[in-house]
Amino acid sequence: MKRIAAFTLAVAMPLGSASAARFDLPEWESGEESGAYFLGGGLWPKSLIPDATAAGDQPGATGEAAPAGSLADAGIEFVGPPAPGRPLPGAGVAATTGATPGPAQFYGPAGDGTGSDPSLQRVKENPDGTFDVPEEIVEVEAYEPLPPLEGDLADLYFAHAPVEYLVDPQRLLTEQKSNDIMRFLEFHADESKLRIYVMVIGDNQTIPEGVDIQALHRKWFSDEPTVLMLYYREKPDLTELVYNESIRGALPKSVFDRILQNCLREGAVADLAPDQVEKMAIELSIQIYWLSRLMEKENPDHQSLVSASSVHEMMASADAPELLREYVPGIFIDETSKMLSFVLTFVVILGGLAMIGLIGWIVMWWRGRESLSGEPLLFPEFRLPRRLGGEFSGGGFVGMSFELNEGAS
Amino acid sequence: MKCPRCQRPVDHEAASCYSCGYSEVEAAMTCGSNQVLLHRVHDAAHCLRKHERDELGETLDFLESKFPQMLFCAYLGTLPASLKISELGFWLLNHGQVRGAEFARPNENGVLVVMDLNTKQIGVSLGYFAETLITEEDAYRALNAARPNLVNAEYGEAIERIFLKIGKVLDKQGRKLRKLTREQIHATLTGQYKNVLDLPPHLSPNQYLKNPPAPGESPGEPRKTA
Repeated sequence: MKRIAAFTLAVAMPLGSASAARFDLPEWESGEESGAYFLGGGLWPKSLIPDATAAGDQPGATGEAAPAGSLADAGIEFVGPPAPGRPLPGAGVAATTGATPGPAQFYGPAGDGTGSDPSLQRVKENPDGTFDVPEEIVEVEAYEPLPPLEGDLADLYFAHAPVEYLVDPQRLLTEQKSNDIMRFLEFHADESKLRIYVMVIGDNQTIPEGVDIQALHRKWFSDEPTVLMLYYREKPDLTELVYNESIRGALPKSVFDRILQNCLREGAVADLAPDQVEKMAIELSIQIYWLSRLMEKENPDHQSLVSASSVHEMMASADAPELLREYVPGIFIDETSKMLSFVLTFVVILGGLAMIGLIGWIVMWWRGRESLSGEPLLFPEFRLPRRLGGEFSGGGFVGMSFELNEGAS
Repeated sequence: MKCPRCQRPVDHEAASCYSCGYSEVEAAMTCGSNQVLLHRVHDAAHCLRKHERDELGETLDFLESKFPQMLFCAYLGTLPASLKISELGFWLLNHGQVRGAEFARPNENGVLVVMDLNTKQIGVSLGYFAETLITEEDAYRALNAARPNLVNAEYGEAIERIFLKIGKVLDKQGRKLRKLTREQIHATLTGQYKNVLDLPPHLSPNQYLKNPPAPGESPGEPRKTA
């Protein structure tokens, strides 16, 4: 076979070189000619080149397109490129003047010569008057099917305890995202004792029947609290979270269901696998923080574990307080805030009472003040009947005793 | 109204008390029928200091400028046991003449504060016109407001406070009278209108002449007009 190929190559090479010798390659004979070279670029028909005279002087341009003089003779002014699918004006004029007939000649790849829009050719009219429109071809990135998890591939996942927090031996995630997720999981492991391992599996792959994830989790992480997240590529709804038995037993199942729901919700936000893994890992980290707080409240034995967790600076998801408020509403308000709210309430009440008292005092003072305006006041004059023979007074009198042991008279 | 001596109720136009027969004649027999000259603040007991008299004088000046028709004066003395301060107030308003009081301030417009340091009693005597403006409740309220000062022997401040309180009452009554029309005031004084100022109905002889009373009707009862 190799011999036949070598013989064919040896025969074809002299023939090719002989045919190549028939083409005249342009040669610059002098500097003036090189300056007169027309830069058509091969993208436009010659009839559209503004310097048509120069284009006509080009070697090999004779008979290819109508010169500008013929356009001027016909009285046609043409500006700009023609609409696609329409015959060029130069072509029609050239036919009347005896120039080369046919569509405009391009320097680019030659068409099929029909001159019509190819997109219209795909629409076919049926005898009954209907049209067959071809379906639009959408470019979809197709994953090549992954091999099943067995043999050496399965060993890469399940043979030994993972060394890194992101287990992706098939490189299903992009390198950049893998590094980012790895750094984040390492950061989480530094800050919290409850570590996170993420195992990425193909979308069409399944855990081998002989592998028990729970048993593996017990085997690998029996001495340290760990959450193992099994992620199926671009199928976040299949994600599984595996906890230690001690953690499982410390809190009700609904807590873990809520954590899984929150992670799935975050994963559903993104479309691509790397983004999904990243979002779910971040959400799981946040949920683990609240889980630690919850365990602190529920089980005092875990306080030492929780005390080592110092991820208080992490932003909590919006659902995390709801999760905890359902079980331990008391952990959201610490003693200082309680005292502060109590003091604030007391101050507000005291201030309100003081304000009411002040207003009342001002009203009483205003009504009881002894100041009078300086405007003179005149009373209507009238005479009254006399009494007891008095000319000016009839004995009208109001008295009071200010002796301490006596009352008013 | 009450009798200055026996404190029994007295009719509006009674010439003498029905109970004890007290009248101005009785008062003149007791205290004298002559006229006496009074200062605005007549301190016969010499219990006021100079600055108290000065401050009290300023207050009275202000009240007189505020109420140009009213007469404000005070008498502080040590009365004999046989003389009550109500009798003295009655007699002073009818026989006293306040120094510096203008003609526009007759004694019937007077508000006289009388204080007896022997019996530790204080009172307000009112002229006829002042009675129509100052009720007994208002007068007693003014006296009661000054009780702390009186107990602490701050007589000048006490009398000043009494006058200021009475001035407030007068100011209030003056604003109320300003809202009444002249016809309403006249009707009030003649008894044809609802007694806004709680004045006694005036029975003028003309009314009796126009509408003679029925044969069985008592002449002492006021006649209601339409």
